[in-house]
Amino acid sequence: MNRTLAAALLLAALPASALLTSTAQKTEQVAKVSLKVGDAAPDFTLLSDQWKTVKLSDYKGKKNVLLAVYVLAFTGG
Amino acid sequence: MDSPAANAAFAKEAKIKFPLLSDMNKKMLTAYGILKGHDVQGDTYEWAQRANIVIDKNGIVQHIEEGDSAVNPNNALSVCTDLHKKQSAK
Repeated sequence: MNRTLAAALLLAALPASALLTSTAQKTEQVAKVSLKVGDAAPDFTLLSDQWKTVKLSDYKGKKNVLLAVYVLAFTGG
Repeated sequence: MDSPAANAAFAKEAKIKFPLLSDMNKKMLTAYGILKGHDVQGDTYEWAQRANIVIDKNGIVQHIEEGDSAVNPNNALSVCTDLHKKQSAK
């Protein structure tokens, strides 16, 4: 059920981005996230802003995780 | 791909309470396929595109949103809320 819901949301998001990318050429330049909904998320260990290591698997069985990949957060543009 | 020090300054300024992670060597971005190549003055540079990914308690990907629409986290947040409701109901 979760999977169905998330897949529906994903599909709903795609037409919006398709509208933004007006040409087929531009669409080809966008790398595809190789993960799919329903896949096991690859584990990773990264440094936090407090210089502590954070492992994705630390949250397993405890919390849902929202990863927001936010590039150029500092720039004015 | 900001450093932990840069993230700490940003977290303090924006009063952010969740961990801000640095992927300086792009290992997570590569594993997740989020890197995108850009041609600049004849050289190719790779940096990440914006993306929101929801992973449930069992480590399963429940939601992926990438590109310009991922600037807005509302879709991902509603997936999290729904997940939480379903898990609480069990």
